[in-house]
Amino acid sequence: MAEIPDGTRGDPQELAGRRTDEWSECLVLIAANQDRAAFTRFFRHFAPLIKAFALAGSSLSASLADELVQEVMLKVWQKAGGFNPEKAAASTWVYTIARNCRTDMFRRLQKFDTPLAEEDVFPDQESEEPFALLQGKRSEERVRELMKTLPGDQMQILAKVYMEGKSHAEAAAELDLPLGTVKSRVRLAIQKLQIQIDR
Amino acid sequence: MAKFHPELDLLTEHAAGNLPLAQAACVSVHLNYCEQCRRASAQLQSLGATLFEGLPGEPVGDTLLNMVLARLDDAPPLSYASSAGWSAGRTPAILQRLMSGDFTDLVWKKITSTLRISYLKTGDPNYEFALYHIKAGGRIPEHTHRGPEMTLVLEGGFSDADGSYHQGDFLLRQPGDVHAPTAVQSEDCICLAVLDAPLKFTGMPYRWMNPFLQLQPG
Repeated sequence: MAEIPDGTRGDPQELAGRRTDEWSECLVLIAANQDRAAFTRFFRHFAPLIKAFALAGSSLSASLADELVQEVMLKVWQKAGGFNPEKAAASTWVYTIARNCRTDMFRRLQKFDTPLAEEDVFPDQESEEPFALLQGKRSEERVRELMKTLPGDQMQILAKVYMEGKSHAEAAAELDLPLGTVKSRVRLAIQKLQIQIDR
Repeated sequence: MAKFHPELDLLTEHAAGNLPLAQAACVSVHLNYCEQCRRASAQLQSLGATLFEGLPGEPVGDTLLNMVLARLDDAPPLSYASSAGWSAGRTPAILQRLMSGDFTDLVWKKITSTLRISYLKTGDPNYEFALYHIKAGGRIPEHTHRGPEMTLVLEGGFSDADGSYHQGDFLLRQPGDVHAPTAVQSEDCICLAVLDAPLKFTGMPYRWMNPFLQLQPG
């Protein structure tokens, strides 16, 4: 298992180094200079993931999947200025845009007449304290590392829920498992990822 | 600070974007008031992001890239000078959008001498999304739920046999749960209720009203 940063070690420079990956840099360039070359690099990396996300669970046709790729990438262009590399990885930021656009697309297809967009359900958070940002970023890295340790049966259910957009009940029906088993696997996975639900 | 929170599985389905719109909006209003659930939700979203990164990519041709590049000029970058966001304390932005005004601007339907209801339109065809206004010290007649009910306290507070609830508190009632909430004495209570089946009054003086409590989704 990879070593998890424990929050006490690491000099500022190392922390800064961890925060600037290639994709965050692309977003910063897009925001600062409307840099089309950076946008093209970003597109080549993320468009195939967005398309795979659109097709997961065979929920959308290939042409709608292409439409989703376009919508998401245009949002990336427009919203790059709102990306904060101190807060989250570029891939997390793109994922939330893709999830929101996919949900909005589902609702359009079902002819929902709603004043709400999924962005209203998940508003951008106001700028937080540097310490809270650092903590958020660390727990994101921890989740990413610990995901590698999850057993297959837990990953399978998380993929159904997150990528295929299935409810716990739908995942249970598809995998022919009792709902309680699905819920407890999700719960176990989240415990292993040390996602803090302090109650 | 909120003391009653959505369960982990509900937060997970919310973070994954899988909840029906009306329920998602209700959980979102709770997040507005609750920092610890916001933190948990951020981590649950980074879980989704990790799965997303690991997807086997589907080939995307240059035609699509060129189409997007050609449209960039029509999509000018947004300015982030004043970002709307989680607005602790204020009326949550998502509710402001649904109310297009303040609580006082809404149309309220009188149910009893202490209870008024205002139905908001979310566009979700299966769920009613309503604000309940209970006068200080007022009691909602004892009722049961025919489907799950989410409740979220926006102003004031109320109590029932199981506890007392204040701003930001989130409750999920299951079908068959019977209760008779009473607003706190000191101020009026406004809460949000999300239902997929109408309430059913169980007490004698109010039972005649049941046929009139039609679900008002949309």
